[in-house]
Amino acid sequence: MVRSSRLTTVIGTYTTDPDLPLRQHAYQSPLRDERLAAWLGASLGVLFTTCFVTGLFSHLHQHPLSWLPVPARPAGLFRFTQGLHVASGIASLPVLVAKLWVVWPRFVSFPPGRRVADAVERLGILALVTGGIFMVFSGVANIAQWYPWRFSFTAAHYWTAWITIGALVAPVGAKGPIARPALFGAAPAAPVRGTPPVPRGRRKNRPALADADPALSTSAEGRHDGLDRRGFLLTVAAASGLLTLTTVGQTLPGFRRLALLAPRDPADRPVNRSARNAGVIDAAASPGYRLRVEGRVATPLTFTLDQLQSLPAHTAELPIACVEGWSYSARWTGVRLRDLLQMAGAPPGSAVHVESLEEHSPYRLSFVNHFQAGDADTLLATHLDGAVLSADHGYPLRLIGPGRPGVNQTKWVTRVVVV
Amino acid sequence: MSAVPRRGPLFWGSAAAGWALIGWGLRGALHHRIDTRPGQLARFLLGGALAHDLLLAPLVLLAGVALSRAVRGRWRAPVQAALFISGTLALFTYPELRGYGHGLRNPTSLPHDYAANLGLVVAAVVLGTAVTALVRGLLSASRR
Repeated sequence: MVRSSRLTTVIGTYTTDPDLPLRQHAYQSPLRDERLAAWLGASLGVLFTTCFVTGLFSHLHQHPLSWLPVPARPAGLFRFTQGLHVASGIASLPVLVAKLWVVWPRFVSFPPGRRVADAVERLGILALVTGGIFMVFSGVANIAQWYPWRFSFTAAHYWTAWITIGALVAPVGAKGPIARPALFGAAPAAPVRGTPPVPRGRRKNRPALADADPALSTSAEGRHDGLDRRGFLLTVAAASGLLTLTTVGQTLPGFRRLALLAPRDPADRPVNRSARNAGVIDAAASPGYRLRVEGRVATPLTFTLDQLQSLPAHTAELPIACVEGWSYSARWTGVRLRDLLQMAGAPPGSAVHVESLEEHSPYRLSFVNHFQAGDADTLLATHLDGAVLSADHGYPLRLIGPGRPGVNQTKWVTRVVVV
Repeated sequence: MSAVPRRGPLFWGSAAAGWALIGWGLRGALHHRIDTRPGQLARFLLGGALAHDLLLAPLVLLAGVALSRAVRGRWRAPVQAALFISGTLALFTYPELRGYGHGLRNPTSLPHDYAANLGLVVAAVVLGTAVTALVRGLLSASRR
């Protein structure tokens, strides 16, 4: 009996009460209050939703749907959406860390649940915490090309994104009534029976947590050393802003000189996969190299590199935008894809598959829909900025088209199949 | 024990929509098991939460306790701010500092000296927070 009550005391000391908002005994930081939690949660919601929507757009590019073809224009659309995707993901790191820290006592509330609703809410929070941490961690690791796992990054990141966004939606009903007054300063909700009433007129529209929960001796509104609520929010915003400022130059040319922590430098004309890693150095340099145009065509064609270079060339200024968030604009020169398709007698409005010399890669083949194949700037390029393509940039021939992700700008092209 | 508010339609409606999305994600992760390796993915999901709860959060708590004893008065806020910003910068830069990307032998990956650059940015953060604290101190002194 004595042991049982001692155990209860210990549990009561280091856990919190799930019925009261952020009630804490052992965690008396003045910054753990509802208003702060609401602002950080809302910021995280905006950042994660931005990541989710832009990520879906990237997924649609890489896993095309026949009933929803992606337009080729505007040419820089994917550059913008993917740059935003990665920048939002990076900016969410400090917000996630801060949010987890503010609400951490809630994770150790005891008992964990007294009703079905508690269990549902806490399971959702578990999904949000595990999913949120995984999405930010795997995204940051991926852009630094660190792969401490054996699963496919894109598949795991994509499916976990659904879990995370679902976990973001699930607690809206539970947290909304608390977050709304905390965010917008509306009058506090009627106090829960059993807690003391909130004194009216103490400070207009600002319910202090200490009023709602007497277990707290201090709140972010009281006088204390250290950061107050506004200071803490400004600190988190500064951390997100600084991370953005020191990385976004990998896609925004105006910020390049500040991109001290970016994993890529667009001035280097970076590549995602080198010719050596793709295992194509010998095949790409072989005199026996040919480009074949076949499939649903009247006349299948085969070209040597010299024959391709004797065809009318076209130059286009196009961005190459990697799914990892870096991008740069360059001058590409080569033969128009639509001219080749016309020469082979492909039906108007055809879509094609473009195949690489690379053998064992999920990106050895890409789909070019009818909008993109018919665009005047979709090229099979032989030159980059006036110079012959390097092996890493896809020598002898690479696909480059407006508004496509870098992984779909297939390098070392050897075959075009009209589908 | 306090009474608990009843859960209304908003609670159950958003929970149903959210869990439908979570279910779709779980189904996808299990269905595409060759790519997602659900066992390993689950270990990473739970491992991330455990690493936060058992490693990062206690470290931050200890740092907070140490800070509250070591730094008092108006300097505590700028020190907290500088530590938070520098800590999150270091968290982001960790894979770059370790140079994992160099293993792929991609000459365009990780082109900078990230230790030096992180040092530079952290120095700017420390300087910025110190200057902000001094200016705020002077302003509040002049108001008195």
